[in-house]
Amino acid sequence: MRGARMRKAGLRAAALLTAGSLALAGCASDDSDSDSSGSGSSGGGDGDVKIGLAYDTGGRGDKSFNDSAYAGASAAAESLGAELQDLSPNADASNRADLLTQLADDGFNPIIAVGFAYADALAEVAPQYPDVSFAIVDSAVDGTGLDNATGLLFAAEQGSFLGGVAAALKTETDHIGFVGGVDVPLIQTFQAGYEQGARAVNPDIVIDVQYISPAGDFSGFNAPEKATDIAGAMYANGADIVYHAAGGSGQGVFEAAAAAGGLAIGVDSDQYETVGDAALQQVILTSVLKRVDVAVQSFIEDFESGDVEGGTDIVNDLSTEGMELSTSGGFIDDIQAQIDDYRQQIIDGDIEVSSTP
Amino acid sequence: MTESAPLAVELRKVTKRFPGVVANRDIDLRVRRGEVHAIVGENGAGKSTLMKTLYGMHRPDEGQILVDGREIVLRSPNDAIAAGIGMVHQHFMLADNFTVLENVVLGQEPRRGPRLDRAEARRRIREISDAYAFGIDPDALVEDLGVGDRQRVEIAKVLYRGARILILDEPTAVLVPQEVDELFANLAELKREGLTVIFISHKLDEVRKVADSITVIRRGTTVGEADPRTTTARQLAEMMVGSELPTPETRESTVREAAALVVSEVTVHAPDGRALVDDVSFTVHEGEVVGIAGVEGNGQSELVDAIMGLRPLVAGSVRLGTHDVSAWSTRRRRESGLAFIPEDRHRQGMLLDASLWENRVLGHQTQAPSVRGPFIDRRGARADTARIMREYDVRAPSPDTPAVALSGGNQQKLIVGREMSGRPRLLIAAHPTRGVDVGAQAKIWELLRQARAEGLGIVLISADLDELIGLSDSLAVMLRGRIVATLDPTGITPEELGGHMTGGRGGTTAPGATPAGATRAGGGVAS
Amino acid sequence: MTVVRRIGTALIAPLIAIVIAVVISAGVMLILGVDPLEALSVMFDFGDDPVQQITSMVTVLNRAVPLFLAGIAVAIAFRAGLFNIGVEGQYRLATVVAAGIGAMVTLPAPLHVVLVMVVAMTVGGIWAGIVAVLKVTRGVSEVISSIMLNTIALGLASFLLTGPFLGSEPGASIIRTETLPESAWMPSLDGLLGGLGLELPRRPLYGFLVIAVVIGVVAWVVLQRTRFGFDLRASGLNASAASASGVDAKRMVLKTMLISGAVAGLIGLPDLLGRNHNYNTDFTSGLGFLGIAVALLGRNSPIGIAVAALFYAFLDRASAPLQAADIPSTVVQIMQGTILLAVVVANELARRLARRRAEQANRQGDGAPPVIDPGAATAQPAGVGGPAPATATTDGGGTP
Repeated sequence: MRGARMRKAGLRAAALLTAGSLALAGCASDDSDSDSSGSGSSGGGDGDVKIGLAYDTGGRGDKSFNDSAYAGASAAAESLGAELQDLSPNADASNRADLLTQLADDGFNPIIAVGFAYADALAEVAPQYPDVSFAIVDSAVDGTGLDNATGLLFAAEQGSFLGGVAAALKTETDHIGFVGGVDVPLIQTFQAGYEQGARAVNPDIVIDVQYISPAGDFSGFNAPEKATDIAGAMYANGADIVYHAAGGSGQGVFEAAAAAGGLAIGVDSDQYETVGDAALQQVILTSVLKRVDVAVQSFIEDFESGDVEGGTDIVNDLSTEGMELSTSGGFIDDIQAQIDDYRQQIIDGDIEVSSTP
Repeated sequence: MTESAPLAVELRKVTKRFPGVVANRDIDLRVRRGEVHAIVGENGAGKSTLMKTLYGMHRPDEGQILVDGREIVLRSPNDAIAAGIGMVHQHFMLADNFTVLENVVLGQEPRRGPRLDRAEARRRIREISDAYAFGIDPDALVEDLGVGDRQRVEIAKVLYRGARILILDEPTAVLVPQEVDELFANLAELKREGLTVIFISHKLDEVRKVADSITVIRRGTTVGEADPRTTTARQLAEMMVGSELPTPETRESTVREAAALVVSEVTVHAPDGRALVDDVSFTVHEGEVVGIAGVEGNGQSELVDAIMGLRPLVAGSVRLGTHDVSAWSTRRRRESGLAFIPEDRHRQGMLLDASLWENRVLGHQTQAPSVRGPFIDRRGARADTARIMREYDVRAPSPDTPAVALSGGNQQKLIVGREMSGRPRLLIAAHPTRGVDVGAQAKIWELLRQARAEGLGIVLISADLDELIGLSDSLAVMLRGRIVATLDPTGITPEELGGHMTGGRGGTTAPGATPAGATRAGGGVAS
Repeated sequence: MTVVRRIGTALIAPLIAIVIAVVISAGVMLILGVDPLEALSVMFDFGDDPVQQITSMVTVLNRAVPLFLAGIAVAIAFRAGLFNIGVEGQYRLATVVAAGIGAMVTLPAPLHVVLVMVVAMTVGGIWAGIVAVLKVTRGVSEVISSIMLNTIALGLASFLLTGPFLGSEPGASIIRTETLPESAWMPSLDGLLGGLGLELPRRPLYGFLVIAVVIGVVAWVVLQRTRFGFDLRASGLNASAASASGVDAKRMVLKTMLISGAVAGLIGLPDLLGRNHNYNTDFTSGLGFLGIAVALLGRNSPIGIAVAALFYAFLDRASAPLQAADIPSTVVQIMQGTILLAVVVANELARRLARRRAEQANRQGDGAPPVIDPGAATAQPAGVGGPAPATATTDGGGTP
């Protein structure tokens, strides 16, 4: 937040300069919902785009999802000269609606809710602020009747497919693993793509699949010790590469990989860069990037240019570069050509990736 | 008093005030070197305040403290220790899971480099142990030690710190007779080595036996010195209370025809199947006191629990009046007239953190005036507590005072008063005067006698043989869970009773057993 | 005099606690580079316009309701000397079952709400009852068994949610039970706010507030004024003495845990009946553990727990505006933590102080008449009415 404030200060002049053009952009828009002039308590007239960002459990600094959203929002803020305010939920995340209300009352528009858990809070708050544009990451608004909200969705199965390809090409034991945080459909799409990708390369590959916690118990996203145990068992069982879609628990998978001399595939953000430990970097083969930053940034830019319709969902996939595979560390440089080949086939529709296992 | 040698300790006109009250006033105390000097007085007479003054736990408002003829100022126990004064508290301050050695050196560890020099510590503890015939093993775990040994460890701890003057606060309160004798032998050793012992007690027989001189305290001030060789226990007690003393004797029989309690063939087992109470039968009539004699741990507590309904019967039955109550809950038994003065009032008799009136309700949760319908009758309970406080001389500011603030004697009087309310038919009185000063003891005896005359049946369990013999209409002796003798208290001596308690007969002492010591210790038998 | 003093004694601990907590929190804030006064003013800033203000107040109240119920559930067991750590599992399981069953039946409105409540209380009670049965029959410590049952309850709740009670579409991100029919919705108190001439808040004020108040009053009356409450407290203060006084220890454990569990079963209902109308994978968790803190903070008395719950909720609400003011919301957690710690310390200090005072006062009553200094003004024992006790502040009188 401190960073955000400093950036705010530094960009104030730029913001003033662009205020006029922003106002023009607002006028040019034919969609009143995306009117970028301030609404709510701040009163109209300053013309600033004020971006509100409400994080999911874990808040800023999760080195994953929330951070990625922040990266996108701050990139957009920088390019637009906008103000950015981000809020983290309390310990039991019971105040999600309050965060959205706080942002709306403080005149932020657009407001981006990071994570599908905001669906209920959004359904409650969005209708109370019809002049504010909301977006929610990972949750569809199509069919909810919220015409001032946009769903930012990801074709996680496509990215995970490439992760499966990389794992299958790199494995020496023809045995790989998948650790899911919580056994919910969203995470199952990661599993599904991963399995299809691996089997596309090697139909006989052995894939261990395990979830840390069952649906209803969200501790699986924040249980690195359990993840270490589960991944450790997979390595002991013969798997040499484990892909995790387990949020904060991923750290545990990397530690298990380092301990067992195996490799791991990160998720959401480029975990090679975020893991912050040289020893663990060496086990991160690649990361399936769910480019929340790209999705958030382009949403904000669309909003600024008046292209947000509301009531619709935007699916980010390989074609929009909303999903991709990281290359940090250069571990998959040798198989990049094959990966690119599969990517192209998916983009072209030659391979259809199912989102259920 | 005019010997040439300076006094080991002398207090001149020491006065200690607490806000609104003078706890000690014009205390004069003269303790000669190498003597055992007893300080006696009722609970609340100011003995503890005096000892705390002497041990530097607080400073007197007036007066002088002289040690070895020189006036000193004690700001803290550390000053007292530096002046060679050590204190052995009534409640031991030992860490159970430490060895004797570790406990003794705690805070004063001899070191070799950064490490505890065990060899040196062991040598010095052995030295102390040998010099005073303590017989303590430096490497024993404290939790494995008996009470007597623990006390010796406490004394060793004080000696280890170089004390030449020892204050022992009620040292015999926790000891069995045999241990009392051992303690007195230890004290003699200390005396022979030239150490001075200040011995606080209210057990007059013991004091007369061990002390070389006695100072009596009453109502916060010293009322005089007594020579134990020429003063009787009775005279001492009268000095303490300032009036003539009653005796426990009650001879005119008030026993009636109807049975208040019939215990028949009652057997109680330990969890491991051992019989703790074995086929015990006796009857208590209305207006009768049946005394149960026995060395502690021979099934008396378990028998009490069985009568109270706190322990299941393996065999036999308990009848209260005409009802077989064997299957009744404790509450139902209490409702039908069973009253209980427990042996350990803090464990079974009181809610220490609750007010006096709530303690009045305890045990009478279903009976007026404590309750009205499903609700507690606070006003009724408070009023009745005030009545008990008045009638039973419970000294406390108000019924709202927390019980913990009362002295042991006042707590006990409250319990007696409570149990007597609601016209019980049978009272189980386990050690009713234990830890109670002379005044309260007389009062409790008086109350028991009165209730007995009104037809109350009483089961009296006591380690005080004089009390047992004096109050009981008939005596049963328990040994290893069985009743081994039924005696007529008329004409029996404590020595004879002691003989029965240990399995001997009559007054002949069983070899190695303790009855002689027990009876000599008089007021404080417990084992 | 005595009443004033009693109230004074009761206030000592909270006052000490607040002072300690404020000092520590301010210190930590300074270290973090936060101006404590600024943080304080943000916390008390409920918003600029009436709607924001009322919404903030409703937010605090809505948060306080489940915390209060959780605190009461914990405190009832505490009072009897039982440590019910299982409140967490009890309410989670109770809520999912109540949501599941509530969605299956059709009933007229008031009955439907009552049914959901009864189901929740029953499930909570049974779950806590297992703990009690294990304790009285097998001697299993309630701490251990309730922790274990928490784990089982969470697993069971997940199973019920994803199995028999599943009401959401397959593939949905948030898995829910079937939404309760409107007849099972607890009406909000917004009408009441409107009646008071206040703006309508942005979220409804839980009607369950009324139930919570009733539960609080009943708990107070039962604990403080009834025979049963006396037996319960006696068991907590001294189990042996309670037994000797005729309290059946085993039944008391059973009854206490059943009641504690039944109240615990209600914890999830304010959210369930007032807002979510279904139990889902994102249902607020951890209230059972917060309840322990709230009970501790409220010193196990219903009034204290109400204050503690409101206080916790007040701090919780501050977390968003603090962030908006560029103050880390961890300030809230720091304050919650330090105040809890401070309360534990202060309770102990106050207890000793009270004991020492009582002993001093009693010493006067005990040995007073003959040794009263002739110069002293009052010749009466304390408590009867002299000013003496008020001055009894110097130390040394106590026999620790």
